[in-house]
Formats: sequence, C-alpha cells, structure tokens
Amino acid sequence: MAAEQALEIMGVSKRYGHVVAVDDLSLTVPAGQLCGFVGRNGAGKTTTMRIVLGVLTADAGEVRVGGTPMTFATRRRIGYMPEERGLYPKMRVGEQLAYLAELHGRAPAAARTAAAAWLERFGLADRVKDDLQSLSLGNQQRVQLAAALVFAPDLLVLDEPFAGLDPVAVDVMSGVLREQADAGQPVIFSSHELELVERLCDRVAIIDQGRLVAQGTVAELRAGAPERRWVEVPDAAPDWGEGIAGATLLTRDGSRLLFEIEPEGDDQALLRAALATGPVAEFHRVEPSLGEIFRTVLEGAAA
Amino acid sequence: MSGEGRPTILLVALREIRTRLRSRAFMLGTGAMVALIAAGMVAWTLLAAPSSSSGTAVAHVGFTGAATTLEPVFTSAATTGGTQVTVRDVTDVASGTAQVTAGQLDVLVTGAPTAPTAIVVGSLPSDIESALDVAVLEARMGAVGMASATVTDVVNGTNVTVQSVTPAAPVDPQRDAELASAVAVAILLYVTIGAYGGFVAQGVVEEKSTRIVEILLATVRPSQLLEGKVIGVGLVGLLQLTIVGAATLSLAALIHVAAIPAVSLPAVLGDLFWFLLGFLFYATAFAAVAATVSRQEEVTSAIAPVTVLLLGSYLLMFVAVMPDPTSTTSTVLSLLPPFAPILMSVRIATGDALAWQVALALVLMVLSIAGLMWLAGRIYANSVLRVGKRVRLMDAFRGQ
Repeated sequence: MAAEQALEIMGVSKRYGHVVAVDDLSLTVPAGQLCGFVGRNGAGKTTTMRIVLGVLTADAGEVRVGGTPMTFATRRRIGYMPEERGLYPKMRVGEQLAYLAELHGRAPAAARTAAAAWLERFGLADRVKDDLQSLSLGNQQRVQLAAALVFAPDLLVLDEPFAGLDPVAVDVMSGVLREQADAGQPVIFSSHELELVERLCDRVAIIDQGRLVAQGTVAELRAGAPERRWVEVPDAAPDWGEGIAGATLLTRDGSRLLFEIEPEGDDQALLRAALATGPVAEFHRVEPSLGEIFRTVLEGAAA
Repeated sequence: MSGEGRPTILLVALREIRTRLRSRAFMLGTGAMVALIAAGMVAWTLLAAPSSSSGTAVAHVGFTGAATTLEPVFTSAATTGGTQVTVRDVTDVASGTAQVTAGQLDVLVTGAPTAPTAIVVGSLPSDIESALDVAVLEARMGAVGMASATVTDVVNGTNVTVQSVTPAAPVDPQRDAELASAVAVAILLYVTIGAYGGFVAQGVVEEKSTRIVEILLATVRPSQLLEGKVIGVGLVGLLQLTIVGAATLSLAALIHVAAIPAVSLPAVLGDLFWFLLGFLFYATAFAAVAATVSRQEEVTSAIAPVTVLLLGSYLLMFVAVMPDPTSTTSTVLSLLPPFAPILMSVRIATGDALAWQVALALVLMVLSIAGLMWLAGRIYANSVLRVGKRVRLMDAFRGQ
C-alpha cells in the first residue's frame, strides 16, 4: 500500500491561449490530512485537479506522490470525482461500480465485492440491478462518490463533492472523507461551503486567479487575520465606540458592539475604555470565520 | 496491484458487448435480418420453379395447310433428338397464329413443306428447328425422287457427340441468382457496417456528453478506450452477422435452394471477414469525427462526411458494379479502401473478382485501417475531453 504518501503540487502552470488558468501553483497535502481547496469560480481549482489527474497536461511544473513524479500507474490509484458528474446513465449501478473498480486494476471478484460493500454503506444495496438513470439525483451523487472509492484509492481528489447534496448526504460524505483521511490518505476537495470546510478540514488552501494566496490550518490562517471583540456596555452613551485608539467599530446592535483590534492595537485598552462607561456585561473574543478570512485574504491579494 | 486485474482493453470491450447484447435492438435486428433473407429465398424458389422445369416441358407444334405433311417425320426426328413434342393440325394460319400469341401453341408451321415458315413468339428453340430441318430435308429429297428411308437413315446417323461447356455469362440461368445474392450481401454489409459504426459514434458521444469520459481517462488511455469500444461493438456486429449467415445456410439446405455460390460456407465466411474490415475502417473514422462533438444531436452531422463514403459504396454498387462487374471502373472502384468492403464482396459474390484483385484490395484495406487508426487515435485523444463547441478536425489533429 502506498500509505503515508503526501501529494505535492509543485510550480504547476496552465494557460488557455492568453488566459492564465493556473500560475506557478505549489501545494502540499500531507498523508492523512483533509485539505479544503477554496476560491472563487474560475480561480483555477478544477484545472488544478484535472492536472493532478492527468486529464489535463500542465504547461509547467509537476505533481508528485510520496516524493516521486506521478506516473500513469500512480494516477490509476487516485479516487476522482469530477466537477461535472459522469457515469453511464443506462448501466446498472452494481455493474458500473464493479467495472470502474476493475478499470482501476482490481480483480473481478474483489471488484464486485467492493461495489456491493459501498452500495450497502450508502443504503443503496437494493438498487444494485437498477440503471443509474432510475435513481434520484441524490442517490446518483452517492454512486458517484462510491465510484471514486470503490477501488480503495491511495489518494482522493474530489471536485465539489458537496454540491447539490441534501443535509443527510452531506453528513455521510463528511464522514467518509474524514474516515479516508484518517486511514492515511491525502484527501483534497474543492468547495464553496466555507463553514463545512472550516469544520471538516485539517488544512485549507485558498486560490485566486490561478495563484495560491494562502494555505495552512484554519488556526494558522486565522493567526494572520485581525482579532475581534464583542463588547456589551448597557450604560454607555449612544455614540460610544467611535474613536477608540487601536480598535475600529464594525457594527452596533443596541448596546452590543463589535470591534476589530488593529494590528498594533491592544484589547485591554478597549476593555478599559468600556469599563469607563460603567458595567461591562460582555467582553468576548470572536474568531473570524473561514468566510471572513477568505474575504480578507482575497482583498489582500487584490491590493 | 495492477497485475491482478484484467487488461483494460478487454474490460472496455466486454462492457460494450454486455450492453449491446442486452439491448432489445440486437434481438430485433437479428430477427428482422433472418426473416428478410428467409422471405427472399422462399420468394426466389417459388419464382424460379417454373423456369427451371421449362427445359423438359412439352413443345406444342401446330401445322397448317400443306405443311401438315411434315408432321410424322418432324415428330420422329424430335423424339429421336430427345425433345418432347405434340403435334396437331390447325385449320388456317390466322387461327394458328392466334393460338401462338395466346400461348396455346409454341410454334405454328405453315407454307410449302419444302420451304415452311415457323411462327413463334420470340425465337425458334433450336431443338424444334433441327427437327423441322430434318422434316424439310426429307420433303425436298422426296420432291426430287430420293427414297425417304434413305434420308432418315442418313440424317439419324449423323448424331454428333455433344460436349457440354460452361455457357457464356449472359445466358446463364444461374446468373440471376448470383446477382440477386450479391445485392443481398451488399445490402447486409451496408446496413451492418453503418449500424455498428453508428453505435461506436454514439458511444463516443455518450461518454463525452455524460462526462464519464473524464473519470475513465483518469485511469484508461484514450487509445485503450477507443480500441476497446471498436473491438467490443465490432464483435457484437460479427456475432449478429454470423447468426444471420448460419440461419441463411440452414434455410438454404432446408428448402433446397439451387446451388448459389454466395450461399456457401466459404462465401459466408468471406463476407464476415469483409464486414470486419469494413467495420474497422468506418467505425474508426466514425469514432474520430464523433469525438469532436459533445451532444447526441450533433452526431449525425459530424459523421456525415464518413457516412457519404459508405452510402457512396452502396450507390456505386448499383450504378457501376452491378451493370458490369468486370469493367475497369468496377475493378478499380472495388480495390479502393472506402468502397472495397461492399464492392469487392459483391464482385466476389458474382464470381467476377480475380484472386489478385481480392489480394490487392485486402492489402490496401489493411494499410488504410492501420493509418486511419493512428489518425483517429490522435483526433480522439485531442478532442474527447473538449466539451462544448465542436472541435475543428485540424485542431484536433494538431492537438491545439
């Protein structure tokens, strides 16, 4: 087994005519980690993933697994879910999964067993002999995920795996991804659902206009973002909060105010100013969500 | 890890075979082809029956006026020559002629016994003519005073030993059967090559439009996918034609169809082989052009330039080859790769293809298939992942 092998994307570039889709992008997904790949539409996520899969050829750079450049043989060990879902509509679900498992090198009997096991896992055991097109869209999505997992891949690359899933399916998908990463695989998936990425992922990579603008754990990304404090001061004057040194007022909700501590500022100065108005009912630190980090990073990248 | 699995091309081909064999179209198509051929053979046997027995039919010959004196000698000469005749007197030329035109009499003999006239629809059968000649000769000799017995003896003694040789093509009664079966073979090849080539084109676009090709190409090389598909679909086509061929041979044996060269085991095997070559040529070309489009609705227009070649072979068969299978035009056309599968098998069925022509056509066919596979593999690999607007063939070839 090729366990404990990191996926390394090294200096990959791809252009379509005059449009630069991916620009010197480097990204590492360590073994056993779940990496969320976020960015606006057209940022280059899908292109990057297709390059990893060898479905597209990069103009420059290379992709490595376990320190060695990707070959056709190592590519066959990647579980892939493309952005545009695709399976044979008129093929039976069980046969389809077994076929894909065999294409990835599994023996016929093992392929059938694995197909049945994944369908069981996703609650589709009774649909084995149905044509894919007779399944609901949600169930087709489950089959699509099963198609990426059915051959016990060494690495998972999933383009928008959560798009279009109902809340139950989101939980199933999250569970499976976590489990695959815990088993020692590098897992990378793209998503626009930043809350989900924040909750689920060990690492996050943010891409904009083909360039990687930030990567690390959510805590690491947060470290660069300005801190915020909620302050509740019931006896303060209505206009209190403006012009406090080192802290900028963001929003006001009655007597509750949200401040951003400036990089050179100090939250204790803000607390002292609050206490000066009378009792302080609340003073608590707010961690910026991934969505806020994402916006801050993109603003920084654009500037 | 990858060593334990089955080869990729085999897997792709097996999937095609399983999908096609399960489809209702396969069963219905096979049944329809067998039914059409059976109907054709039965109809042929029924139509051919009267004409094949005409050789042993009795010729009815009427005599009128002075010519009636020819009757005894004519009858004995005809019988001696192995021709069965009935002879009767007819009152006058007018009523006799009417009977000839009505088909009640085959020949009416009138006029002077030494120089009679034979009235007949079409031409006078040669056996009747020679029997009449004997009778006329005897009448003339009698007229100049020679003994009739002498004449009969002399004439009857001159029986020439007859050696049968193959008749020239146009008068061969087998010829019609050969031409008809050749047309049947050509239609069958045209339909199956077109249908199975079309399945390949549809399959390519199905994989493209459903986007499964992206999953497949992450683990399969484009050439493996293309070759597996062509092989799988081709084998199903071959199976269908084999069933049809076997059914045809069995039916022919069952209803005792006259020995037609095209309805024999070697001929059927040859036709299957030509199907394979034709299918490989057209399916490969279909796959390449189909890969340039993304939606099923665009398939027909995309493969049209190739379809025209196939349709062309079919039309050339009627326009050029059937009227004269041995002409230079027919020979040259039947050697050219796009046309050879249909035109050469037609010329083989009519018995007009020479061995060297068949060999040359095969060599050209195999070479062109090899070249086409290279070209198609390149076009396919460069277009199959490009979804959306139709890919220009030259761009696909260059990989832009």
